[in-house]
Amino acid sequence: MDLILVNLIDGLVTGLLLFMLSAGLTLIFSMMGVLNFAHASFYMLGAYFAYQISTYLGFWMGLLIAPPLVGIVGAAVERYGLRRVHQYGHVPELIFTFGLALLIEELVKFIWGNDQIPYQIPEILEGAAFSISSYDIPAYKVFMIFLSLGIFAGLLFVMTRTRVGMIIQAALSYPRTVEALGHNVPLVFMGVFGVGTALAGVAGVIAGPVLSTFPGMAFVLGSIVFVTIVIGGLGSLGGALVAALIIGWLTTFAKAYNIRMEDILTSLGFTKPEPVWDSAWADLWTLTSPQIADILPYLLMILILVFRPYGLFGKRDV
Amino acid sequence: MQSLDKTQTRLEGGVSMKTAMPWIVSAVMLVLMPFIFQSNSAITIMNQMAITIVFALSYNMLLGQGGMLSFGHAVYMGVGGFVCVHVMNWDIFGSIPLPLLPLLGGIFGMILASLVGYFSTRKAGTVFAMISLGVGELIAACSVIIVVFFGGEEGVSGDRTYGMPFFGVEFLSQIEVYYLTAGWLLISALLMYLFSRTPIGRMANAVRDNPERAEFLGYSSRWVRYNSFVAAGFFAGIAGGLFAINYEILTEENLNLTTSGSILLVTFLGGVGVFFGPVVGAIVFTLLQTVLSLETEIWSLYVGALFVATVMFFPSGLAGVMQMHIVPIKLGKWRLLVMPYIVTLVPAIVCILGLSGLIEVLFHARHAAIGETEMTLFWVTFQHTEIWPWVVFALMAALGFWLARKNAPQLMEAWHKANTPDGADT
Amino acid sequence: MTAALDIQGLRKSFGQTEIIRGIDLSIGRGERHAIIGPNGAGKSTLFNLITARFPPTSGSVSLHGRNLQGLAPYQINRLGLSRSFQITNIFPKMSVFENVRCALLWAQGYRYSFWNMVSRSRALTEGAEAILDQINLLQRRDLPAGVLSYAEQRALEIGITIAGGADVIMLDEPTAGMSHSETDYIVELIRTVTEGKTLVMVEHDMGVVFGLADRISVLVYGEIIATGKPADVRANARVQEAYLGAALEADH
Repeated sequence: MDLILVNLIDGLVTGLLLFMLSAGLTLIFSMMGVLNFAHASFYMLGAYFAYQISTYLGFWMGLLIAPPLVGIVGAAVERYGLRRVHQYGHVPELIFTFGLALLIEELVKFIWGNDQIPYQIPEILEGAAFSISSYDIPAYKVFMIFLSLGIFAGLLFVMTRTRVGMIIQAALSYPRTVEALGHNVPLVFMGVFGVGTALAGVAGVIAGPVLSTFPGMAFVLGSIVFVTIVIGGLGSLGGALVAALIIGWLTTFAKAYNIRMEDILTSLGFTKPEPVWDSAWADLWTLTSPQIADILPYLLMILILVFRPYGLFGKRDV
Repeated sequence: MQSLDKTQTRLEGGVSMKTAMPWIVSAVMLVLMPFIFQSNSAITIMNQMAITIVFALSYNMLLGQGGMLSFGHAVYMGVGGFVCVHVMNWDIFGSIPLPLLPLLGGIFGMILASLVGYFSTRKAGTVFAMISLGVGELIAACSVIIVVFFGGEEGVSGDRTYGMPFFGVEFLSQIEVYYLTAGWLLISALLMYLFSRTPIGRMANAVRDNPERAEFLGYSSRWVRYNSFVAAGFFAGIAGGLFAINYEILTEENLNLTTSGSILLVTFLGGVGVFFGPVVGAIVFTLLQTVLSLETEIWSLYVGALFVATVMFFPSGLAGVMQMHIVPIKLGKWRLLVMPYIVTLVPAIVCILGLSGLIEVLFHARHAAIGETEMTLFWVTFQHTEIWPWVVFALMAALGFWLARKNAPQLMEAWHKANTPDGADT
Repeated sequence: MTAALDIQGLRKSFGQTEIIRGIDLSIGRGERHAIIGPNGAGKSTLFNLITARFPPTSGSVSLHGRNLQGLAPYQINRLGLSRSFQITNIFPKMSVFENVRCALLWAQGYRYSFWNMVSRSRALTEGAEAILDQINLLQRRDLPAGVLSYAEQRALEIGITIAGGADVIMLDEPTAGMSHSETDYIVELIRTVTEGKTLVMVEHDMGVVFGLADRISVLVYGEIIATGKPADVRANARVQEAYLGAALEADH
């Protein structure tokens, strides 16, 4: 029971992190129709910027300064890159963001080198916040949960309660009308792109120290983020949340409980071939759930696409 | 080949000289290449090129012809290759002539594509791209789980020489492998070209341009896409088989996103709108990779920058840029372009060299081992602690940029003139 | 003899709003039928319902006595119904000739074949050129369709629509956005290319279809208020009211 609770918390951390990335991605996608392949690269930039700032000013200033910086880079990319490619259509846009992801990775390698950098959690958050029976819950995880929830609450408030949020929501569905009403839609687009990438930047700042900060981190997380929004349904914010949490918990539980295929097969009445290594089915017999934890999101995606082509909550014909 | 593309639409009784010519020339070139470039390393590069061409052409069946952007095309090549390398390790291999092996790779690539295509070709565009990415990552991740087939981290290796001798040839040397690969390259390229001329190949273009309209012409967009997808899987599998024969080992690397991404890069660089675009892309990219990786550690930074610049400024790729010059040549006005090109492109090249010089010096200053300040760039050896290399490169970049920019309007004007037929000027 | 197109109790709601409120209409073989109505009457919605682009809320559409419910566009096309689009809907990157040739492929039985070369077929090439000749685009055959003028694109759209040899042709506002002379040209074109076929066309303007249509239906607020010969429809009091009312509203 206690272990379940611990894993629920772990999965929640992963899920919220995924959601922070997929929320920005979804926001950008539903507004501009472009799936930003480089989204996870901005997450990586967040981590690297924060590291660089933290070496001079400490972790907290990094957390404060890095996301807006990432947002500025994102807005610049929209203004000077994406807007230009937009005229060629969605597929070239996607190819552009893919190229951008490659380029950002190379730039990061160029500036900070190929190896992992020593970006660490601040001392005040080291150690455990509380314990559930014999399991310690690290303070940093609690901090991550509250920070993400705080950001989501703030975002929700801006989107539903303020004038800017109203304009953004309107521009999402009726860009022409909003433009006719005298609002600068390209500016709104640039702003949304900036905010979306800044969100990814926040995720990078807080995830960098725990998931390690290295040039490949964007591609490692990136594909999972795309899987998340496909499962949730492209363009659906609620879907992204549900999918992010499902993936977070699914992978955490698969890693925590060692479910072995051997046990399942034996209980189904199959006999284990001896020695198993010589059998053609060796890989099946030795399969364990931690082994396949990382591919579960992909399997889930394929299953969902076969039965629900538009994802869990997607309606939109993309 | 593009001019051929256009005349091809006219009715011709049979295979005309004009349509056959590029193929005959290519075949002769392929035969003669090893006599021109005789070194072992050249043949290795040509083998790599040929495999990349087949793979890129197969990729363009999706992207260029069918409008499907795939981030996971490597798996069809990879799986085809893995099957071939497994066959090399079986006893039955002794009774199979090696040149037939790629066909087997093709069949398995096709089988995998026909399964995945069932759910991935429902839509083109973003959804297709994301599914291809997911499936690609899934299969790449499986390589460490399904060890029996993918061989885990070491991969699977084999020996091509155990095959049945083919008219006495045992494929011990690189040059024999070259002719095998070149033969398959010619056959697959021809088949892919012919595919694009069939009803289903024409409809692939129609579905790419306007799926809804195609439906009201009696064709199911999904089924048209599915067919292209399966055919592309087949040719990717052939490329995989050729890879297996050439390198005799396949690993996780043949399946992952890096490989899938680089074939997108190759194809786009060459040009997706023209049939021979991917061929140009594969040749240029392989050369670029070989030359740059010898000269600099950060070659992939340059390749990445080149790719982004291509997408932004030349979305039709190298072949597209080449094609743009057909009109001036046909009008006999290409001479107008020579001078403006020289005065614009030479400074632009100087600017790029200056920039890359700055980047190299900066990179050396940041990442070289401590105390190692000496470096050689453009055949000059100097210390990165000195000031003059920085100044020279910065001057080159600034001056080149200024001149190129100053002369660019001249080029635009000449370009416009060269593309306007005489008498049409007003 | 069954009607070419038979519509029974057709209704369509988007959310709370009912756009099509119960339409019964039967169009005979070889008839040229025009559906006209003021803006917002639901003409395009009706059109899209007939061609199964939208599913109806209730009611049915039959083509030659066969219910079209649940069929995909390509299946409907194979049953002999071809449609054009209000927004020009061609293959912009392909040549004019290829646009028409693609429209011929299914009708000439090529299906999904990958063992025929399209350029080797005399029937395809001659068929496509005959159509290009009909729509006066023969000189433009090798240009990319995307660079044609608007009127030419509309003509090409009609060419693609009739090319497959379907016996029921549906045209969605074929003269939308055209000048007077262009309109006359397109109307003449429609008259010649639909000779002997069933034509259903949606138009905004009664004047355009007056000389062309055998019968006219007037659609107002999702209902057909009158169907009959052009002269009768024009004299109909409710039709005059609807059109005058719309004109008055537009003045305000």
